Amino acid sequence: MSQVLGNAKLALVVDDSKMQRTVLGVLLKEEGYHVLCADDGAQAVSMYIKYQPDLILMDINMPVMNGYEAARKIKTLTHENSLCPLIFITSMATDQAYIESIEAGGDGILVRPFSPEVFKAKIKSIQRISDLITKNKVLQLAQQKDVELAEQLMSGVIEARNFAQDKIGILKKAATLFSGDVQLTARCPNGDVNVLLGDFTGHGLRSSIGAIPLSETFRTMTKKGFTLLEIISQVNQQLHQLLPTDLFLAAAFVTVSSHENTVYIFNAGIPDAYIFDQSGGIKQRVPSQHPPIGVLPALINDASLSVISVEETDRVVLISDGIIEARNPQGEMFDIERFERVVSAGISHGNITEEVLKSVNQFCQEMPQEDDLSLIDIPCGGWQQPHVINTSQVASEPDQTNTNIDAAWHWRLKLMGSRLSRVNPIPIAMNQIQELEGSAEHWQSLLTILTELFVNSLDHGVLGLDSTMKSSADGFAEYFLEREQRLKSLTEGFVEVNLSYYPLISGGRIIIAISDSGNGFNVKNYHGIVSKQQQYKAEHELKLSGRGIHLVSQLCESLQYSDQGNQVQATYVWR
Amino acid sequence: MNVKKQVSADNKVVTISVEERFDFSAHQAFKSAYVNENASGSLFILDLSKASYMDSSALGMILLLKDHVENVSGQLKIFKPNDAVNKILEIAQFHRLMTIER
Repeated sequence: MSQVLGNAKLALVVDDSKMQRTVLGVLLKEEGYHVLCADDGAQAVSMYIKYQPDLILMDINMPVMNGYEAARKIKTLTHENSLCPLIFITSMATDQAYIESIEAGGDGILVRPFSPEVFKAKIKSIQRISDLITKNKVLQLAQQKDVELAEQLMSGVIEARNFAQDKIGILKKAATLFSGDVQLTARCPNGDVNVLLGDFTGHGLRSSIGAIPLSETFRTMTKKGFTLLEIISQVNQQLHQLLPTDLFLAAAFVTVSSHENTVYIFNAGIPDAYIFDQSGGIKQRVPSQHPPIGVLPALINDASLSVISVEETDRVVLISDGIIEARNPQGEMFDIERFERVVSAGISHGNITEEVLKSVNQFCQEMPQEDDLSLIDIPCGGWQQPHVINTSQVASEPDQTNTNIDAAWHWRLKLMGSRLSRVNPIPIAMNQIQELEGSAEHWQSLLTILTELFVNSLDHGVLGLDSTMKSSADGFAEYFLEREQRLKSLTEGFVEVNLSYYPLISGGRIIIAISDSGNGFNVKNYHGIVSKQQQYKAEHELKLSGRGIHLVSQLCESLQYSDQGNQVQATYVWR
Repeated sequence: MNVKKQVSADNKVVTISVEERFDFSAHQAFKSAYVNENASGSLFILDLSKASYMDSSALGMILLLKDHVENVSGQLKIFKPNDAVNKILEIAQFHRLMTIER
């Protein structure tokens, strides 16, 4: 930086003739410069280092070190972020002098004799270019800071809160200019896992502004037990309102349900999502079926999830377009076939993300990375059931003294006919409970109980779906489709949810009563799951379809179905 | 310049063609090709037959064009995208939003 006070610029005049130095110095002072002088090239270099001038005028033929050599030294010393224009002053009006000046790093040449006006015009023009370059550097620096902020926001703030980072393989390599890829994972109350891989349009900070509301909505709604389609619909509406027309999110949303052995996928604008089996074969591709998120004010009418039955050993693999569009020095793309081969190899080596990254790097060699590379690899099995607390201990010492006291409150919601297909009462109920009693960790278990019981009433009661459909692997997808259709055309029937809350000396008790308009079911399967032996037997008989109820019975102090099976009462106690 | 515009004699058909790479670098030229075409009920044809590549910012630009076309109660047609470009349009499911003629 210049050591001169104030805003005046500093010029360095290098000439072995004192007369020349004086003449140029006077002209420069008239242009508002402070002027330093050097007698030869070597002195010029040391003064350049000491004073960091804004402009250098350099004679060519000088003793000790000539102008070309001094210019080369000075240019190698120049910081990347500052430009000090260097003009050669010479009386050699030859092509050779001109060419050598520029090759030595000069920014211009002025041939004697020249009038003071021509000299000043030259100085002005070179200073104008130098100012532009400085301005540009400042802008570049600001943009670089924005990009770093965007990247930091995405990885440090948003993605650091991801669930199961040890179990879900995530590959993320931001492009030179960060390109807005976002990867989110969150855990549902019933133990399912929600995953999102998204790609915002644009670069830098611009492409990451949507990520904050996206991640907030995705996490909050997942935690509150909303279904995947409800979450997508909300995110879409939000991003549509928030973002300008040309900014949107291409994304795949996935729910991996370990206890249903099912994966739900919604692909809105990214390359095919994959299900791979354990030997690396492709079980299914799920192509994009919806415009990117935020393009339309609401999801299109027939928007639906792809429902896929999976084995515990299968894996879901999601990518953005950065991997398949990565280019090598010959301009060829990495492409889909190569990607699929590499994932297969990755599965046999036990690490998909590493294999893909290695292969893309090998393919691209030293080519600059144009787009973010991102991949998510999610195992379909091995997810823990949620919050099964030690209920036997709670159940063995029921708090009899408190059973007859009055409830602190009752809450009731009865949903009729078509409202049932549009409204999910569970988040509403959970909101009420949290409004009344504050938030607490044990509401997670309650949410699981409510969700399982409500879904049972709706599916098997009101919609009359046969749960044995779910017992075959493919049946589950079929079941889900049938459920969607019946739900859409639903005009009658009801589900009623009743909650009663009893405070205990420590903790509390909630009685959940749910009834529906259906014909009930064969209750004896569920009655008296008391002895270990019966429980074991029941677990095996119930298989896929009975897991929900089995889970609920583990979480509850008691669980009673009415004789017809269309009324259920569960008691949940916490301490 | 790889963005060209042609307006029919009766002012009713605006043809914008984008050649080679349709990406962010075409932003300014693409916008100025349609922004002053305000004849009500015009047909806007986006000719992509000579576009070899398209990225997601181009998708955003097409959505801006679509907004403009709707504002002047016109119609938008995308014309002859090649396989690579069509793949991008397909992944974004743009045929659900506008007419694409192959």
